[in-house]
Order: sequence, then C-alpha cells, then structure tokens
Amino acid sequence: MSGEAVIEIENLTKRYGEFVALQSLSLTVERGRILGLIGPNGAGKTTTIKILVGLSRPTSGVARIAGADCTNDVRKIKRLVGYMPDKFGSYENMRVREYLDFFGAAFGIRRSARNKRIDEVLEITDSTYMQDRYVESLSHGMQQRVGIARTLLHDPEVLIFDEPANGLDPKARVEMRELLLRLAGMGKTLIVTSHILPELARICDRVAILSGGGLRAAGTLAEIMKTVTQARLLEIQLNSADQVDAAAAILGEFAGPGSEVVRSESERTVQVRTSRREDEWHELASKLIGAGVRFSQLREIQTDLEDAYLSVTEPSSKADAKRSVTHV
Amino acid sequence: MSESVANPIIQRELVGLVTSRRALGVQIALAATFVGLVMLRWPTDARVGLSGARSFDVFRVFGYGLLTSLLLFVPAFPAASIVKERNKGTLALLFNSPLSPLAIYIGKFIGVFTFVSMLLILSLPAVAACYAMGGIGLWSEIGRLYLVLLAMLAQYVAVGLWISARTGSPDAAMRITYLTIVGLAAVTLIPNLFYQGQTGLIATLCDWVRCVSPIAAVMEILGHGSVGSQGLIGDGTIAYRFLLLSPILTLFFAATTISRLNYRIFDRSRSQGRITDDQSTSVKVARGMFYLVDPQRRKAGIGLINPVFVKEFRTRRFGRMHWILRLVSLCAVVSVLLAFVTTVQSEVWGARTIGGIMVLLQLLLVLLLVPSTSAGLIATERESGGWVLLQMTPLSSLRIVSGKLWSAIVTVGAVLLGTLPGYLVLIWINPDLEYEVRQVLISLGFAAILAVTVSAFVSSLFRRTAAATATAYGVLIAIFIGTLLVWLGRDAPFGFATVRAALIINPVAAAMAEMKVAGFEPYDLVPIAWWVSGGLSLACLVGLAVRIAQISRPS
Repeated sequence: MSGEAVIEIENLTKRYGEFVALQSLSLTVERGRILGLIGPNGAGKTTTIKILVGLSRPTSGVARIAGADCTNDVRKIKRLVGYMPDKFGSYENMRVREYLDFFGAAFGIRRSARNKRIDEVLEITDSTYMQDRYVESLSHGMQQRVGIARTLLHDPEVLIFDEPANGLDPKARVEMRELLLRLAGMGKTLIVTSHILPELARICDRVAILSGGGLRAAGTLAEIMKTVTQARLLEIQLNSADQVDAAAAILGEFAGPGSEVVRSESERTVQVRTSRREDEWHELASKLIGAGVRFSQLREIQTDLEDAYLSVTEPSSKADAKRSVTHV
Repeated sequence: MSESVANPIIQRELVGLVTSRRALGVQIALAATFVGLVMLRWPTDARVGLSGARSFDVFRVFGYGLLTSLLLFVPAFPAASIVKERNKGTLALLFNSPLSPLAIYIGKFIGVFTFVSMLLILSLPAVAACYAMGGIGLWSEIGRLYLVLLAMLAQYVAVGLWISARTGSPDAAMRITYLTIVGLAAVTLIPNLFYQGQTGLIATLCDWVRCVSPIAAVMEILGHGSVGSQGLIGDGTIAYRFLLLSPILTLFFAATTISRLNYRIFDRSRSQGRITDDQSTSVKVARGMFYLVDPQRRKAGIGLINPVFVKEFRTRRFGRMHWILRLVSLCAVVSVLLAFVTTVQSEVWGARTIGGIMVLLQLLLVLLLVPSTSAGLIATERESGGWVLLQMTPLSSLRIVSGKLWSAIVTVGAVLLGTLPGYLVLIWINPDLEYEVRQVLISLGFAAILAVTVSAFVSSLFRRTAAATATAYGVLIAIFIGTLLVWLGRDAPFGFATVRAALIINPVAAAMAEMKVAGFEPYDLVPIAWWVSGGLSLACLVGLAVRIAQISRPS
C-alpha cells in the first residue's frame, strides 16, 4: 500500500486581505507515513491544517485527502480525518468514557459497537485506567492521549495533530512519540505539527519546513540535511580566549571570501562554514600550529534538524545574536 | 487608609475597568437611560405645579430607573475580579508579593467600588434637573436615595468579591452573583408579604428581612410604601434599617473574603473520579436514597436521542440533571405551601392575589434559571474549544443547536411544571379561575420560550460565557422587570397607553393581567402579548441561525 499518496496539496494559497498566510504550498503524504510540519509562529502550519480538515477555505489551490476535496467534500473529510486541535476542548463534569461516548454518538456509531470501540481506543492510547476520571481534572499529557483516543473513534484513515507534544514533560513526550509511531504502524497517515524539533526528527518520515507562509524545505530528514549542509561547519576549541582573533583570521582565510566566522570568547571557540574537502583540513591544522595557536580540538559540528530549521526560517544574524560574527 | 492610598491594586483595578470597552458601553447606556428617564416626564406645557407632585413623578421614575440600572450592571464588575486573577495565575503572584490579603482585598474593593460609584455620579445631572423643578427634598429624598444606593453598591461589591473568591470560573461567579443579588434584593421581600401587619417574633423577623432589600428602601423613599403592602402604612424606617443592615452585611462579606485570600484558594486536589458503582453496597444504598439521579453513577451510553441534548444535561455548568430534579421538587414544595396559604388565608388575600404571587415567583424562577442554562449554550462551546470538535463531527449545525435549545426548554419547562400544584389548588378553591389559569400557563410558556431564545441568541454573540451570561441577565431583566417598573409608574408619570405598550413585550405581565392581579385589571394584553413574545422569540431564533451559520462557516 505504501507509495500511494493519501494527502495531496497543490499550490495551496490562503490570503486574508493583503496578508498572505500560505503561498503556493504543494505537498504529498503517502499512506502510513508521518509528515512533520514545522515552522515558527505564523508560518502557516495551522492554516494548512485548517484547510485540510475543512475549517478554512483556500484562496486558490486544491487539497485532497483520499481523493476527497477538502473544500467541497467536507462531509467525507469528517469521516476520513481525525483532527486534534491544539486546544483540548473539554467539557465540565464529564468523565473520559462519557466524553468518548458523546463523540462516538456524534459520529453515529451504534451503542454496542461504540462501547467496544471506546475500549479499543482507550487500549491503544494506554488510557483505560483513566476512563472514570473527569476530563477537566486530567493532566495535560493525559488530556492529549484522550484527545487522540477521540480522533480514533471513527477509525479515520488520516490523523492530523496540531502540536500534540506541546507542554508535555519529557516522559510524556516519549510516550507521545511511541503512540504516534504505533498509530503509523497501524497504517494511519499522520500530519503532526510541532515546535519541539527533536520529536519530529525521531518519528517523521518526511518533514516540511514552513516559514512566512511558504515552503522552505521538504523531504525526508536525510534530503533536508543534504540541502542545507552543502557547507560543513568546522569548530576549533582553543586553549585560551586570547587567541580567538588569531584563530578567526586563519579560519576565515582557509574558508575563503564570503565565509562566515563565528567567534565566542566565553566558550573559547571559533566556527566557520566551509565547502572545502575533508582531505584539505590538515592545511588548516598546520596553519594554526604554525601561527602558534594552541587548540584542543578541531572537529566538524553535525547539522541537525534544528540547525536546518533555523537556517531556513531565521536570518543568520538573529541565530548568531549571542555570538560575534565576522564575514570574510 | 494609608495602606489603601499606596495600594497598587486600586489603580490597576480602576484603570483596567475604566479603560475597558464594556465600561464605556455601560457608561454610555446609563447616561442615556438617565437622560431618557427625566425627559420622558419633563413638563412640556407652560403650567407650573405648585404642589411639586409633577417633579416627584419625574423623580420616582428616575429613582426606580437608577435602582434597576445599578442592579443590572453592578454585579458584572466585582464577580469575576478574584476568580479571573486566580485562573490567570496573577493572584498567586500577588500572594507572593509583600501585599497582605487585607491590602489585596482593599485594593480590589476600592477599585471596583470607585468605578461603580462613578456610574452613580453619571446620574447627578439628571437628578439635579429633578431638583430644579422643586418639590423634592435635598436630604429627605435625594440624599437618602443616594445614601441607600451607595450602601447597596458597597454591599453588592462585597458580595461579588465574596462569590468570586469561592468559584472556579468567571461565568460561574457571574451567575451566582446575579442569583444572590436577586435573592438579596427581591426574595427577601417575600416572607413579609405573608406576615405584614401582624405581631410576633416571626412577623418581626420577616419585617427585618425585608429591610435587607434596597427595593423596599427605595420604594419607601419614593413614597410607595412597600411591595404588596395592601394599603398598610409603613413606619418610615425601612431605609434607615437598610442603612444599618447593609454595612453589617458588607463587613461580614468582606471579612469572610479576606479570610479566604490565602493558599487555601489554590488548595484543591484534582478529582480522582470516584464512581458509585465501585463503592460498597451501603454507600450505594445511601446515595440511592439521597440522589434520584446519582451524578457519580457510571452512565449508560447515549442512545438514539440527539447526543448534544444528552451531553448538555450531563455537562453544563449549571443545571445538571440531579440539580434540576431537586429544583423541580423544591418548586413543587413551595407551590404546595402557597396552596396551603391560599386555603388558610384566602379570605384575607384572595385567590387572585395568591395567583399573582405565584406568577411573580415563576418569573423569578425563569429569570434565575434561564440565563444560567441558556447563555452558555454557544459561548461555552466556543470558549472551551468544543465548538471546533463538534464541527468536526458529522452532526449538522441544526442538530447541534436544536439539541442545545431543547435541553434548555425541557429544563425550564420541568421547573415550571413543578409549580402546577399551586394552580390546581387555586382552581379547586375557585373553579371560575380555570380559564384564567390556562391563560396564565400559556403566557408563562411564552415567557419561558422568549427567555430561552433571547439567552441563546445572546450566547451566540459572545466568545466568553461570563460576558454572555451577564448580557443575557441584563436583557431579560430589562424585558421582564424593566417593563414592570413602567407599570409601577402607571397613571403618574406614565399614561395608560405607555404602560400598555411596555407590558405588551412582557408575557409575565400578560399572565398577571389574565389573573386580574390588582393594578393589572385595566390592561388587556392577551393575545397581543403572545404574538409579540412569539415574534420576538422567532426573531431571536432567526438571529441565532444567522450567527450559527456565520461561526460555522469555514474561514
């Protein structure tokens, strides 16, 4: 089954007057895959999700889920998608089981089948023990799990979760990650937004980085890394902060014109991004030693998803605000 | 005092209130109301009434209007003051500052009290116009009226803060504050109705309880004796007794609120979700005797009925099933007690008077119950995020809203049905009343539907339950009580046509007219009042449908 696109987004644009919330977004997600949608506030993540679940209409472009148009086939979309917004949506004086029973009834599941299904979704989300608790009294992590159980009630093909790991403690995050992987293992297709990038790095098959309403990068984690890591990041750990300037000059010269040298006297480090090959690095070491610069390490810093994210969403000056940056 | 002068909370509360849009709206509405009240009865001919009766008519209308306006708007300001801070987390920050609980309370009290007093100051130009007409004493009427109103404001601010420190959400605080103030202002008048003119401990107690109400005090100042005084002349001390009792109550509420302003306000554990089904047999039996519908029993799944209808009964913040059943039982008991009074005192009171009191009690029930059950129908869903979840289900907007409306109508209907035994006894005493009782019940049905539809429409206009609840109370009090105030000014200052025009929009007034309660006999309000309230209900339903379409539409 894998390889078939369940979610198709073509040139999706959303404008609010002059403001462009989403600009020509095109994406596909295959069945059983997890797409991580990341970006800063106002990047267009929630707008994309709202269009996908039929809560917002695009200005232009098309979004389809399992062949159903997200704008014109909203009834079908409701059956196909399980949506968990960033706000839980609790009711007072309602126990977890009653909460699920209500939404099961709202989806027209018959009472006998509903009871069985509630047991199943509680089991999947490890929430059976809290079925008699009042939903408003649950911790945030528990509420998120009940929210996911709610989205599973009508057994949708696609699950869309807006910031499911937001505000969770480390243990709950691990549990959430395991749960999302379990759902993908059940054949569900997931779109997950998050600000907590390591979460996405570990579980997503594909990542789309949005910024200012536009798609900045998309693909598998490896593809994104390749795109943003054509220049490798070298770091020298110096023995003394006095030699930061001397080391920065040598690194700038080594990297060539236009390169960016980042100095940190407090950390006694100098970093430079260079496209020079690994077998040329010994020249740099020789020059440093020749100039009397004493250092304990010369190493390459691995770029992770967070760096990729920052490199496409923030100007470098902002990212390096705490450090002294020299352009050679 | 020095503590209060340097108190930063006063400035923050006052500036926060004064600069809010809500405050601006209230100020403009009040200023326009005061001007309108005086202009309504301002002499248009060249003749001068030497007796001052004309100016006193104007003053009366103004006085009642002022009292009603303040009762309408004041509870909204202190009610959310503490609970909102607690839920936002800023109260914990205040506790962590060098400010003592007393300083925090004084800051809040003075801040809110100064603001609501400013509303009173807005009325000064209008009362000055009345005074300029002559015939009104500066102290005996104006001074005493303003003193009573100031004492009332202080007391109700203290009540609002007291409730705010004991509730879990701003809308619950708002609702309970309105209910408490209706209780303090109106329900306290009722016991004395049955004992006026009598002697003994209970009669004296009822007489004093009446003096807790500012309505009785203001009526005395405006020369109307008291509600249902049956021509008995009062001793002229109600206003003074109110001025004695009100500060005592203010101090009581203030002291108990200050004692609450500490860690205990946060010290609540999360419910562990105890279920009666898992308890021992003895507990089950005990709870079974206490509850007709045990809220802690594991509930069966929702059947074929509209799930939103069932959900409302299980979850709404006010009016869950077990409380509704208790209220219905209470209504039945009160109704039977009234029937008892009717049988033993029918010679003194007359069945029609008792019928009038029952209609008024039902009006109070509608006013207390409906905004609490209906004003959150849409606003609470939007506030909690539930509206988006409902939109993501296959339920149509029509099904969602109809489930909600029916839950409110069934609730109010059940409570009103609980009062039927009293009417049955009335018919039993005087079979000629059967036709009138039928007309009264139809009128009350219209009143309940009007109240529900107005509240539901108001609910669709707001994103916050507290704001929707306060507005719904305001609109319903204006419809049901405001029009009765116009009736109070019948003959002077308002003419027959004006009073009739006002009463037409109030189906409760139609019920009183059908029952031929004293003062309502000349007004023939049925069926025109039914048509008007039916039309208003329909307009509200159309407005609700338009709003639902707006908020359900994809953005």
